[in-house]
Amino acid sequence: MTRIRLENVTKVFGPVVAVDHVSLDIESGEFFTIIGPSGCGKSTTLRVIAGFEVPEEGHVYFDDVDVTFKKPYERNTAMVFQNYALWPHMTVFENVAYGLRLRKFSEDEIRRRVKEVLEMVGLEGLENRYPLQLSGGQQQRVALARALVVEPQVLLLDEPLSNLDAKMRVEMREELKNLQRRLNITTVYVTHDQIEALSLSDRIAVMNKGKILQVGKPDELYFRPATLFVADFLGRSNILDGEVIEVLEPHKVLVRVPDLGADIVASTYNMIRGRVKIVVRPEGIQTAGFDVIENVFDAEVENVMFLGDKLEVRLRVGGASMIAYMPNTMRLAKGDKVKIHIPPDRIVALQV
Amino acid sequence: MKPRLTSNSSQDAEAGVRSYSLSHALFFGLIAAVIYYIAYEITAPNTPLPRARYGSIGGPEYIAWLIALLFPVLIFYKGADYSKVKFSFSWSFLSIISYIYVPMILLLRIPGLPRAVAILLSSLLAASFLYSADEFWRNFKASRAVGIKTPFSKRVRTALFRLDALLIVFITLGTTILVVFLLVPVVLILLNAFTPPVGEPFYANFKRVFTARKYVSLFRFATEKPWTFVTSETGYKTLVITGVNHGILLNSLINSVIVTTVATLLGVLVAFVLARYRFPGKGVIRLLAVVPLFVTPFVNSYAVRLLFGAQGPISWVTERLFGFDVEIRALAGVTIAQIMAFYPIVYLNAYAGFLGVDPTLEEQAENLGAKGFRLFRTVTLPLALPGIAAGSIIVFIFSLEDLGAPIVFQEQRLMSYKIYQTFTTEIGTTLPEAAALAFVMLALAVVGFLAIKSYVGLRSYAMVAKGGRWKSRERKLGPVGLILVYFLLLPLIIWTMMPQLTVIMMALNMTPANAFKPSLEGATLKYFLSLFKNPDVFIYVKNTVTYALTAVVFAVVISIMVAYSVSRGRIRVLSQTLDALGTIPLAIPGLVVALGYFYFFHRLFTGTALDPLSGPTTFQAWVVLITAYTIRKMPFVLRSVYAGLQQVHENLEEAAMNLGATRRRTVFGIVLPLIITYLVSGAVVGFIYVSTEVSTSITIGGLRPDQAPMTFYMMDVFQGGHLEGIQIAAAMGLLLILIQLAAILLIVVGLKQSYAFIGA
Ligand SMILES: Nc1ncnc2c1ncn2[C@@H]1O[C@H](COP(=O)(O)OP(=O)(O)OP(=O)(O)O)[C@@H](O)[C@H]1O
Ligand SMILES: [Mg+2]
Repeated sequence: MTRIRLENVTKVFGPVVAVDHVSLDIESGEFFTIIGPSGCGKSTTLRVIAGFEVPEEGHVYFDDVDVTFKKPYERNTAMVFQNYALWPHMTVFENVAYGLRLRKFSEDEIRRRVKEVLEMVGLEGLENRYPLQLSGGQQQRVALARALVVEPQVLLLDEPLSNLDAKMRVEMREELKNLQRRLNITTVYVTHDQIEALSLSDRIAVMNKGKILQVGKPDELYFRPATLFVADFLGRSNILDGEVIEVLEPHKVLVRVPDLGADIVASTYNMIRGRVKIVVRPEGIQTAGFDVIENVFDAEVENVMFLGDKLEVRLRVGGASMIAYMPNTMRLAKGDKVKIHIPPDRIVALQV
Repeated sequence: MKPRLTSNSSQDAEAGVRSYSLSHALFFGLIAAVIYYIAYEITAPNTPLPRARYGSIGGPEYIAWLIALLFPVLIFYKGADYSKVKFSFSWSFLSIISYIYVPMILLLRIPGLPRAVAILLSSLLAASFLYSADEFWRNFKASRAVGIKTPFSKRVRTALFRLDALLIVFITLGTTILVVFLLVPVVLILLNAFTPPVGEPFYANFKRVFTARKYVSLFRFATEKPWTFVTSETGYKTLVITGVNHGILLNSLINSVIVTTVATLLGVLVAFVLARYRFPGKGVIRLLAVVPLFVTPFVNSYAVRLLFGAQGPISWVTERLFGFDVEIRALAGVTIAQIMAFYPIVYLNAYAGFLGVDPTLEEQAENLGAKGFRLFRTVTLPLALPGIAAGSIIVFIFSLEDLGAPIVFQEQRLMSYKIYQTFTTEIGTTLPEAAALAFVMLALAVVGFLAIKSYVGLRSYAMVAKGGRWKSRERKLGPVGLILVYFLLLPLIIWTMMPQLTVIMMALNMTPANAFKPSLEGATLKYFLSLFKNPDVFIYVKNTVTYALTAVVFAVVISIMVAYSVSRGRIRVLSQTLDALGTIPLAIPGLVVALGYFYFFHRLFTGTALDPLSGPTTFQAWVVLITAYTIRKMPFVLRSVYAGLQQVHENLEEAAMNLGATRRRTVFGIVLPLIITYLVSGAVVGFIYVSTEVSTSITIGGLRPDQAPMTFYMMDVFQGGHLEGIQIAAAMGLLLILIQLAAILLIVVGLKQSYAFIGA
């Protein structure tokens, strides 16, 4: 049960600013995810927390204790590496027992705890195998067991699922979540997979070019992105140019969108004016019923793709081309004319 | 037009920029030099000019200098591609040489051809200087452009955080050992080189080395012909080939350049055929081709002397065809012996290079229409070049420092022999002239080495010596090719392994010691067994084995410290320094090491038992020998440890430290167990290199014969000229062959590692 606080952390590699004045508060017991495109500094942030990198600026606190200059082996963190980093010359048992050996537990105690943790991750009976004799998923579990067995203050996971196949990834995702809930251990998780981030996390930080752009609960980030980058990065978005012409309510504005050839009502969570971008999620576009008059447009179907659980439809709305998800039972074909409706709370206007 | 400085020359050239190449600069530099030289020869025919004439400003010389220096500047601003200076091996070699040569000639006011050459090189010097200046300027601007500026104190703090107790110990201990035992001896050589005879200027020794007729003589005496026909009283006609003589310095250069060139061509050819073609018997030929790599000092060259002697197989043929014998002596003999011994080094490196070329790259090129020699020249060769270049430079250095062939062929007009001779005959003085010579030799070797390092390092091909990761493309050989392989390549390869065979036959008394006459009649194990039975001989075997074992243990320990600090230390400056210190012994000729250690122990331990001059009964040669072996052969061990550490992902260590292991526990508990096979193979390779070491063994060992190793005995046989010993020396050669065979088997079969360990 440890709170982690990063204060203005900056890490520079030569000309690259890998982490740029990052401040984060991670609650104890929280499942916190850092997501961002490749090379944005996620791993580096994690490595600063683990103590493998020391920041040029800023501080790292565990429960108000400044650990910035503590060596990795003086912090009680446990990391699961993307490549698992299992020691190939040791058996599964030896790998898992290593941390306990360092902590000078008795042999009996070590055996008991290793057995326990291997059961927890579902690896009973594989104690005497070598890592190279295990499948990717099994190796991943060994790495997790090795990290968990020492009962760390903080669990650090660097894209632990990225080397697994799609099915395995879904399974492990659930297991990981359950395990974390059960142990209630502060966890920092790094990924560039939005589904993982959205489904696992209590809170998410979106990172780009070394900077944290937004921190929030998964649904907050999804429905109320603070920047265009966040909107684009999490989920799919239709993005159109517009200009604010009137503020209707504290969170409602009227935006003129030239491409649609119309004025629309959109939600906003900041003070905005002038030129803006509007963001519409594909599932926010509905076929219009008869009782709405606001935000209703004529559209023509340009293309239909059957995705299984839904249809992905490319629509031409005025001068704009937009993607919409429709129920898979709908019969649509190229050239069909439809009326669409976008509820104001599904349109977010962002300052450019 | 703006200067063109990008490294991507070919693309830019196509972009329509008129590109004056470096060869233009050189061409004009050459013309300037020739004009100058002719003018010089007319005005002052071969007599040393009064000093006053050089001191004054003006005169044709300075104009020539000016032209030569201005040309590169001129062409630079017309848009020449000076990046070539940096990116091509031979150019960077020449320009590094010119950095040393030009100021030296200028400083020493040496007239004549050396000066004309200096003028020629000066254009290169200016070119590379301009290039570096421009590079520096651009880097400087780029670094200023980066937004964030971390204060120096914070950078230091961050850097220091990377260090912990163990790393500090590794780095300081490693650096100290290398500085004390590597740099100090070299500096002592330099000090002695600049100790002139009384009353002469400080550079007198160097001036002598660069100008005296003994060292540099441009014109041949009428009596010195490269070959002559000799008729004995009995009417036998013999063609004696001796080779040229242009003075010690030039002889060495000529010999090494020829050896390197021929060995490279031969090695690349053999490698290409073996890497790219399929034919029956290829496996056997591949094995036979590495036989010359078995090092058997002295006896090997002696065997070459017999093979090319009046009673050798060549003479047998020429006598029947043309009616005269052939005998190879002096420089010609040295050259041939070295080519035969060293070409497999290039072959192995080139072979790995060719295998390392990703076949899809070639297929891509073929797809675009490249075929045959064009494909080879434009795709295959450039990709394999770093490996080949690495092999060549090793051959260059080996040839420069080799003592075996010169001693056996009694060619005293070579740098290595001259240093050795001065060492043995003038022992007791401080040998300033030998020191100057050693320093020149060191400079040549180090320059070549640095050039190759900057060249290979700059290319990001990074495919060197990692052959065999993919299935290489092999084509079937046509009938003409098959004939060429079986009637040209195979005999060639068999011929180059003949010296080793002859040594074995001599050791078993299957051929007499003074002629090549194989017969099974006298075959006996007597000589080989006497190595162990005869106490007078066994002492040498015992010395070699104990020294080699001890030195290898030290070398492994130092290598671990150096390699680990370099690959994990993460403080750039420190790592690079340590890396350079650890690899540079590769480029230091053995005689330089020997001379350096002589000064080192003579000066710092004067009067103790470690002083080489303390007398043949008190001097403890073993200490000096083991130290020298350790440092000199460490790079080979180091290379293996590096390779091992490269296999260990840094995450593996971080995982341990993350779980609470200190650096010490991580290194000893995780890293070393993981690279144990590399440590063993490094040690084995080190053992081979130490047990066949010549230079220090015969110089330092010669000061205390009863503590000397095998190679000293082998040398003594040929210096002393007693025939009886030749078979015993050959038996030692056989023993060394067996040791090397066992080592290779251990590495390849036991540890399943590549055996292409000779080379950079
Ligand atoms: N040891 C290092 N030396 C130099 N540059 C580094 C180092 N480690 C990271 N970087 C640079 O810092 C930046 C951030 O790297 P980081 O590994 O944190 O990215 P990431 O977000 O984890 O990316 P990915 O999703 O690809 O793993 C990158 O530009 C990277 O090149
Ligand atoms: Mg990463």
